[in-house]
Amino acid sequence: MIRGMVIDLEKCIGCRSCVVACKQHNAQPAGNWWNRVFTPGSSRHLSPPEKGREYFLPVHCQHCRNAPCEKVCPVGATYKHDDGTVLVDFERCVGCRYCMAACPYGVRQFNWEDPKKAMKRYEYQNEYTYGHPKDYRLNGRLVYMQSRFKGVVEKCNFCVHYLDQGLDPACVRACPGKARHVGDLDDPDSNVSKMIRDKNGFNLLAEKGTEPTVFYLPPKRKEG
Amino acid sequence: MELNRRSFMKMSLAAGTAASLDMKFFSYAGAEAASQKTGVETVTRSTCSPNCTGACGFNVHVTDDRITTLIQSADYPEKSYNPRGCLRGLSMMNLVYGKDRVKYPLIRTGERGSGEFRKASWEEALDYAAEKLKNIMEKYGPEAVGLTVQVPGTGYVHKGAFVRMAGLAHWSIHHGYDQNGDLPMFWPMTFGVQTEELESLEWPNARYTMVFGSNLIQTRLPDAHHLIEAKKNGKLVVFDPDYCSTAAKADEWVPLKPDTDAAMGLGMAKVIIDRKLYDENFLKDFTDMPILVRKDTGKRVRAKEVKDLVSQAEKRKIPDYRDLFVIHTEKGFEILNPERLDPSGAELEGEYQVELVDGRKVEVRTVFSEFRESLKEYTLDKVSSITEAPAEQIERVAIEAATNKPLHIIYGASNYQWYNGDLKGRALSLLPVLTGSIGKSGGGISSYAGQYRIRFNLKEWWFPSGGKLNWVPYLYFLQGKGKRYPKKGIKAMVGGWGNPFDQHNMSNRLKDRTTSGDIEFVATFDFSMTTSCQWSDVVFPATSWYENYELTATILHPYLQLQQPAIQPMFESKTAFWVARELSKRLNPEFEKYFFPELDTNAASQKIIEILLETGGFETKGITLDMLKKGPVRLHSTVPDDRQIPFYDQIHERVPFPPQSYPPPLKATAKFLKSGRIEFYKDEDLFLKMGEQLPVHKETFADTEYKVDPEARKKYRLRFVTKNSLYRVHSTHSNNVWLNELQGHKPKVFLNEADAGERQINAGDFVEIYNNRGKTKAYAVIDSGCRKGTAIFEQGWWARYLKNESYNSLTMPWIKPLHEIYFVPGIWTPTTAWNECLVDVRRISV
Amino acid sequence: MSNSKKIGFLVTGLLMIAGFVAWIYQYKEGLVLTNMRNSYSWGLYVSGLAFFVGNAAGGLVLSSLIYLFGVKSLKPFAKIGALTAFANVTAAMISILPDIGQPIRLYHMLLHPNLNSPLVWDVIVLNLYAALSLIYLYILMLPDLKGPLAKIALKVDQPKEFSEKWAKRLAPFSLVAAMGIHVITAWIFATQGGRDWWNSAVLAPDFIAVAVASGTAVVFIVSLLTYGFKNEHQQAYRSMAIIIATAYFVHIFLMYNDFIIHYWYGAHEALETLSITFIDYGLAHAFEVLAPLAAVILLLNKKIRQSSGAMISSCILLILGVFAHRFLLMPAAFDKIQLSMNPLGLQHNYWSVPISSGQYDPFIDTFVTKWHYFPSAIEITIFLGVIAFMCFVVLFAMDRFPIAGEAEA
Ligand SMILES: Nc1nc2c(c(=O)[nH]1)N[C@H]1C(S)=C(S)[C@@H](COP(=O)(O)OP(=O)(O)OC[C@H]3O[C@@H](n4cnc5c(=O)[nH]c(N)nc54)[C@H](O)[C@@H]3O)O[C@H]1N2
Ligand SMILES: Nc1nc2c(c(=O)[nH]1)N[C@H]1C(S)=C(S)[C@@H](COP(=O)(O)OP(=O)(O)OC[C@H]3O[C@@H](n4cnc5c(=O)[nH]c(N)nc54)[C@H](O)[C@@H]3O)O[C@H]1N2
Ligand code: SF4
Ligand code: SF4
Ligand code: SF4
Ligand code: SF4
Ligand code: SF4
Ligand SMILES: [Mo]
Repeated sequence: MIRGMVIDLEKCIGCRSCVVACKQHNAQPAGNWWNRVFTPGSSRHLSPPEKGREYFLPVHCQHCRNAPCEKVCPVGATYKHDDGTVLVDFERCVGCRYCMAACPYGVRQFNWEDPKKAMKRYEYQNEYTYGHPKDYRLNGRLVYMQSRFKGVVEKCNFCVHYLDQGLDPACVRACPGKARHVGDLDDPDSNVSKMIRDKNGFNLLAEKGTEPTVFYLPPKRKEG
Repeated sequence: MELNRRSFMKMSLAAGTAASLDMKFFSYAGAEAASQKTGVETVTRSTCSPNCTGACGFNVHVTDDRITTLIQSADYPEKSYNPRGCLRGLSMMNLVYGKDRVKYPLIRTGERGSGEFRKASWEEALDYAAEKLKNIMEKYGPEAVGLTVQVPGTGYVHKGAFVRMAGLAHWSIHHGYDQNGDLPMFWPMTFGVQTEELESLEWPNARYTMVFGSNLIQTRLPDAHHLIEAKKNGKLVVFDPDYCSTAAKADEWVPLKPDTDAAMGLGMAKVIIDRKLYDENFLKDFTDMPILVRKDTGKRVRAKEVKDLVSQAEKRKIPDYRDLFVIHTEKGFEILNPERLDPSGAELEGEYQVELVDGRKVEVRTVFSEFRESLKEYTLDKVSSITEAPAEQIERVAIEAATNKPLHIIYGASNYQWYNGDLKGRALSLLPVLTGSIGKSGGGISSYAGQYRIRFNLKEWWFPSGGKLNWVPYLYFLQGKGKRYPKKGIKAMVGGWGNPFDQHNMSNRLKDRTTSGDIEFVATFDFSMTTSCQWSDVVFPATSWYENYELTATILHPYLQLQQPAIQPMFESKTAFWVARELSKRLNPEFEKYFFPELDTNAASQKIIEILLETGGFETKGITLDMLKKGPVRLHSTVPDDRQIPFYDQIHERVPFPPQSYPPPLKATAKFLKSGRIEFYKDEDLFLKMGEQLPVHKETFADTEYKVDPEARKKYRLRFVTKNSLYRVHSTHSNNVWLNELQGHKPKVFLNEADAGERQINAGDFVEIYNNRGKTKAYAVIDSGCRKGTAIFEQGWWARYLKNESYNSLTMPWIKPLHEIYFVPGIWTPTTAWNECLVDVRRISV
Repeated sequence: MSNSKKIGFLVTGLLMIAGFVAWIYQYKEGLVLTNMRNSYSWGLYVSGLAFFVGNAAGGLVLSSLIYLFGVKSLKPFAKIGALTAFANVTAAMISILPDIGQPIRLYHMLLHPNLNSPLVWDVIVLNLYAALSLIYLYILMLPDLKGPLAKIALKVDQPKEFSEKWAKRLAPFSLVAAMGIHVITAWIFATQGGRDWWNSAVLAPDFIAVAVASGTAVVFIVSLLTYGFKNEHQQAYRSMAIIIATAYFVHIFLMYNDFIIHYWYGAHEALETLSITFIDYGLAHAFEVLAPLAAVILLLNKKIRQSSGAMISSCILLILGVFAHRFLLMPAAFDKIQLSMNPLGLQHNYWSVPISSGQYDPFIDTFVTKWHYFPSAIEITIFLGVIAFMCFVVLFAMDRFPIAGEAEA
């Protein structure tokens, strides 16, 4: 089973709900965003590009099958789970940021300072912190924790901490546009496989050979 | 926890003043619970209920009395509604725990607006407020206290408690609908209702959807997918001067000049009529089109004026709010039955001579004929030159719309928030009427403003017997005059759920009047320290929808839902019910009994919900609190499957228009449609005088800006369109740290490159937007999608983000006299026209 | 100890202490004290790695020339070469320590090395090279380990012959190892298919060329400082000047070869990286090309080679140019966002997806498409500390060990 995601750009309304859901469910400290949505061609989100067509593009870790971030990591802190998800072991990452240099999608985020300190910049009352509160270990490796260490790298983990509960990733559950889907890429009959096949699914930077498991469906489709 | 709160009250009573109280003890009502960190997670289902009125169900995950995550509950029985919610709802923790959360009652110590307060105990703050209010009531009469309550339908219990208090104390009250400009006046004029709309689940059933100035992708975000789905079996055409994100998603975008929608509607109506694409039977049975109009007076012919019909008319018993009008059938003149919409055999077109009671013969013709005549002006070329849209496109779209039924029109708030917004709505509603799309699944006309009609009868809780409310349109309050404005003025503002000092202080009137002392006292109830709180004398900390019980509804879907406490009220926040009880009893000890003195807040709230459900009428029949605790429950309607399709009964059961708009009784609004039909012809004197008996197009600013200052044409050359931002619900979320981060922390004004170039403004420049009423500042965005001649400002910033210069210092409380013909609060009343505003923009150095 | 030596120790010592203190501070506060951010994730420290690795070429050049190609004139500089090689390769390793977010966890490199990672290879070869240059130095010093140093001397019958023999035997290995450190360090960058600026087959040979130039220049300087100007070394000076010049021209050839190929083809990605180098960093680029060129022209001039000061200055100019070259490894890689595209309907428009910088500031945008990097004071202090360390090692070794000890030509 290879977990894959399909993002339908025709349905995506650029609302950034997925961005915010990801932010809170994964407890990302100030200045740190695993997921982002922009308007291609425009310097301002939701403003049309000059003369071009306005559509919206969500980007987070593409969970590449041929993941350069995984290959370069000197200590195997970035690694691939059986289902294809590319994860970061927070206890092992040494913070060399080699993976950030290697990832062509700009999705990796570094804890430049202690996340607790970064969180203070949001000036919450009562030292509030948000996010899924429990650590999550997958085969013993710490792949989710609410408050990360200073000096480690993090990124979209396909909401691995919800895996056991059988829950879809937060961005999928939060998407009011119904633009996001997850499923098994190995199964040709899965919802995602069908969509990719029937609706011309494509990858970002396919030419880089990273073989992402996140697929996009083209915007501006008229469906009969 | 209730024990805590009550013992707190007792203690504070004993202690006299709060100064002796250890505030920390209450800083977290659930201190004990929270201190024993159990790490156990609870999940509570509540409803996000800001003034966008999306009313989206959320699951609140809580550990140790803290919200950890929020996620849509996605529990609506129709899958299509799931997952309802948006980025604002998903980041609500930033307001619940944000630095601007109001923690405890505050009493002003500094100058007005200085933001200097001292922390007070509830006891002290309540006493202080009650004392001030009592003084004002004694000095100027009780109606000198004005209550504002925004968006009542999102909070039947707590908002009701404030209204109940105001009623008991005989205060004045403002209706949020017209205050916000959310009231589209074409609705009462044409359909006799406050507003109506399809539930968004119905959108995909339209074969043709036309959106006129509603940026649904941003403003009806959780429902927007239904619009995209409507493209599957139909076509989506967006009419908007701006290439907004909704236009971007459309099959076709019609860029039209702002405020020319009436001409557009009339031009298309002409195409449909000229090509005989209209539904003749629909017009005959359900509209005033066959009614005869006198050519001499312009009035509709009343049966009692007609010699042959007078005796028959006198015998007919009809309610006061109806009138007997005359039609012509093959049998001659006949009375049109206002109480049934059965086929009447009326002729739709024709000119006749009718003999009046006094023997005079007058020329008459049908409304339809009258209308055809008036449409002669709206040739495609003329309409194209007014709207600046290609004639070819107008014609083609009109034909497509008339031949792909049902047609659904969505008429947006920004579009009707113009002085002549009513004319636009009247013209646009012609299209679904001509095509017979009203009352059908997926068809009709809808407006989705923030405010919305009350969904069931709430009298039992809101309006206690013996209570009296003096409804004062907000524009009268701002202007300081008007028919219902109290003689001695309004001297005290009590408000909640709104932020008028940013959102409504047109020409900065509120600030000036509080500064001058004209308004003597302001009390605000909010969970965030808004600009209005900054300008208040007393601030009461409120609970959010994750800290209390409440009953909510919305327009976008017909589900009743609960707000339920997921965490203890933060700090010393209280519900409005509790505040109303405490404040009322200080105003008059007699009032306490109206507020369940024997129950604590949560118990009382639930009790009130039960009462509301029991007395709500057929809409809430059979719905119980227990059912609601399990999840959303559909309100009943007369449509199969309880769908929300306006005028279903009128069309399918042939009962007269209008249906009731809560809370007033039917007779209050039925008088707008004396014929019992959809009326395009209005013959009240003022309509005739203004030449608006039928929908027409009028030039923008002619009766407003250009009239008060002819120079404005040259001095202020940009239309100031203030629209809603994705990142805020008006000013709510103005301080949301994540959402501000996503916007680069900057208020922005959007300008067309030509307008910017002319003013030497580059992208990112800091600019001033000004007119002779006021000014504000923002960063320029050069946006090719923004129409030339328009400056778009995304409203909703707190003054502190705008160097304390509000965008609403630029706007103006225009009143259109037609809106004063009748008065039914929030239904037929002067309504605000935000966009009727001219400005210019200049670059400034920072 | 001579005064200049004392000053040398004092200055390098103080700088080392300052660098160390700065590092401790940075360790406590996090890398937020640097000016790197998510979109620009490597800066001065990693440039430093490449720079020092380049300088470490000294050992290779000399040993291979002397022992493989029989350039005898260089023999007096052999030990210096081995010493600067050792000092620089250690400095290279040290310079990336402050770049590591969790240095304490580096033991994971031993516990869980990912053998796919060029960084792991690099760590291995750098260590090997450090060991090798130390052994090499030791072997060359062996005949001179007398007096108190005798106790660390290997007991062999004929130290001189032994040293000679083993130096010769080790030469090919050190050549391979030196090639190795440059090739593999280059591979760290060149394997990044995502970064067009680095992803080039000429990067590794170019690294070697640059290293030969700068490594030789380092030896050149140290030799002049050690022995002063000596006419008898004229032959050696000339050889070194020629080595440097050749290496420099090879480097310029490789670099421009790459540029021209990309420029000619004109793919947008490539043009953008070139424009960063030629426009945004035009001055720095001019410096990286012209400073070494000037140095080379000077060094090739006989008259210049009559003055120790002039030669040292030329070499310093060259090294500064090489440093600029190493610094420029980053901007064109990080100032361009790889996730760029032609948006629908904008075929000629090239648009980058902004990246969250990792820094929250209520007055600036978190999402950036360009991050103007210049090292922070902390980074510069730490980096100077590393340079000081390198100099200190050289000074210290020269002071304590018989490195300057003249060997007959
Ligand atoms: N995100 C978000 N959602 C909200 C709210 C919010 O604050 N934020 N507020 C809620 C409330 S209270 C309201 S009232 C609604 C309002 O929501 P909408 O009705 O969508 O109103 P706006 O977003 O102000 O403007 C919609 C469009 O009207 C266009 N427009 C302006 N003038 C004209 C005109 O003359 N003709 C035509 N054809 N178009 C015109 C503008 O260009 C704009 O694109 O949104 C509700 N939903
Ligand atoms: N220039 C210009 N001005 C406009 C508009 C425009 O288009 N242009 N739009 C107008 C329109 S359409 C509208 S609807 C109005 C909206 O105007 P308002 O309704 O005044 O605006 P909001 O910012 O939504 O204010 C809601 C306040 O209620 C508080 N609140 C929310 N929930 C609760 C609760 O449960 N309890 C209590 N006590 N407080 C709560 C929030 O913190 C917030 O401060 O603005 C109008 N103003
Ligand atoms: S997108 Fe980047 S971080 Fe994610 S797997 Fe691919 S290379 Fe790694
Ligand atoms: S930063 Fe962490 S995850 Fe990335 S390569 Fe280095 S050790 Fe691996
Ligand atoms: S899958 Fe989870 S971590 Fe990844 S973008 Fe979605 S919400 Fe964020
Ligand atoms: S939540 Fe869904 S519709 Fe909104 S931006 Fe994300 S993917 Fe697009
Ligand atoms: S802010 Fe409005 S649309 Fe968004 S989740 Fe809350 S109620 Fe729904
Ligand atoms: Mo509104």
